[in-house]
Amino acid sequence: MPDPLTARLKQLIVETLRLEDVAPADIPDSEPLVGGGLSLDSIDALELVVRLEKEFGIKIASSEEARHALGSVAALTTYIRERGDPSRLPS
Amino acid sequence: MADPPPPVRVAAWGCITPFGDARSTHAALLGGESALEAVPVLGREGGDPVPLALLGGRTLDETAPPAWLSSVKRLAATVPAGDWGAPGRPVFVTGSNFGVGGLYALRRTGNAAFAEWGAPPTCTERLRLEFGWGPDVSILSHACVSAHLGLLQATRAVHAGIADEALVLSFDFLSPFVSGGFHALKILNSEFPAPYRERAAGSIGLGDGAGFAVLSRGRGDWSLSGQALYNEMHHFTSNRADGSGFAACLEGASAAAGGRRVWFKGHGTGTLEAGRMEVAAASAAFPAAPIVGWKGGLGHTLGSCGLVELAVAIESLRHGRAPGTIGGAGPPMAPAVALESFETAPYGGVVCASNAFGGAHAAFLLSDA
Repeated sequence: MPDPLTARLKQLIVETLRLEDVAPADIPDSEPLVGGGLSLDSIDALELVVRLEKEFGIKIASSEEARHALGSVAALTTYIRERGDPSRLPS
Repeated sequence: MADPPPPVRVAAWGCITPFGDARSTHAALLGGESALEAVPVLGREGGDPVPLALLGGRTLDETAPPAWLSSVKRLAATVPAGDWGAPGRPVFVTGSNFGVGGLYALRRTGNAAFAEWGAPPTCTERLRLEFGWGPDVSILSHACVSAHLGLLQATRAVHAGIADEALVLSFDFLSPFVSGGFHALKILNSEFPAPYRERAAGSIGLGDGAGFAVLSRGRGDWSLSGQALYNEMHHFTSNRADGSGFAACLEGASAAAGGRRVWFKGHGTGTLEAGRMEVAAASAAFPAAPIVGWKGGLGHTLGSCGLVELAVAIESLRHGRAPGTIGGAGPPMAPAVALESFETAPYGGVVCASNAFGGAHAAFLLSDA
């Protein structure tokens, strides 16, 4: 059974970036989000960061930190689990 | 990229920053001073503290008429008198934001007075009337290379015989709209900028600034040559990762230098990736050049930075000493990055470069005429 936070993040990525031909389950856990198979760019990353900050109560301080957090879905899951508001994480 | 135009002379110049005029600004930077202070990113509405350099007595919040107007008037009063805007004496007004903060204030307050300075045409027309300029006034905007674009167009007008002399004026003043936008991109954060320094995370600072230059075919002690603009047309906010855009733009200035030893005044906002690419390109094109960046002291004055920093560069040549790179800690990205001030006499000029969103690059060589 997929990790609920990972599943939620994949759903958010598809919704926020309006990826019409991509299903959440199609997004691999370990592939780079920006510059990888999803063809996301820095504007997509900005949209995603804004949504993630609102959804999980996180604060990403710099572009370098954003790049680290968006390294992959797996990296993003770890980042949000460590820094997100626990009451907002899916269980 | 088109061939650079022939050299043109700088007959007059000036700038205004939180330190004062060009001479005061040069002196402050020589002393290693920084005008940046931590200011709430949205002004009176709060938000994270970010490094901003605001003109004395001005708050970030928008007013109607804009509080920066008195500063532009003060700068314009130092422009040599003449029939600016009349045939043969065109004016090029450049900037990246003009009064856009007013449009944001209009949206938030509904006060129509904010709209009067909000867009480039209305803003420029008001300035034209304020300063008594004639109708030959052009508006140019290309993000943070806007001032360079104005200089290049003015140079072409001079050489085409359209202008006897041309006035280029550029200004950019901060507002919650502008600082909030950079903050959203995560490149303006609570860290103060450390241009050309290696550290864990980059950050820029933003600053108020305005500058002008009068360009002439035959009058003036300083020469601009090898002027170039190069746009990668790569992405809204990113440069090509191989740094080729930075390198391509320096070809004209390199040819103009003709093997002379020069120093390099870079863009140097404090972002890490662009800083590394710029240092690598500058070191390759000008192997013996010390590299400096002044935005750790001035903040990034956005579209006006090309003219503001031109004025400081001219003051450096006039007084024989250039400020070093100001701001922050960390090892420099390359040995060529000059952290201390230095004498300019051993050099045959300075290459001034700026960069902008979208992979836009600009450069010229400034030297004795």
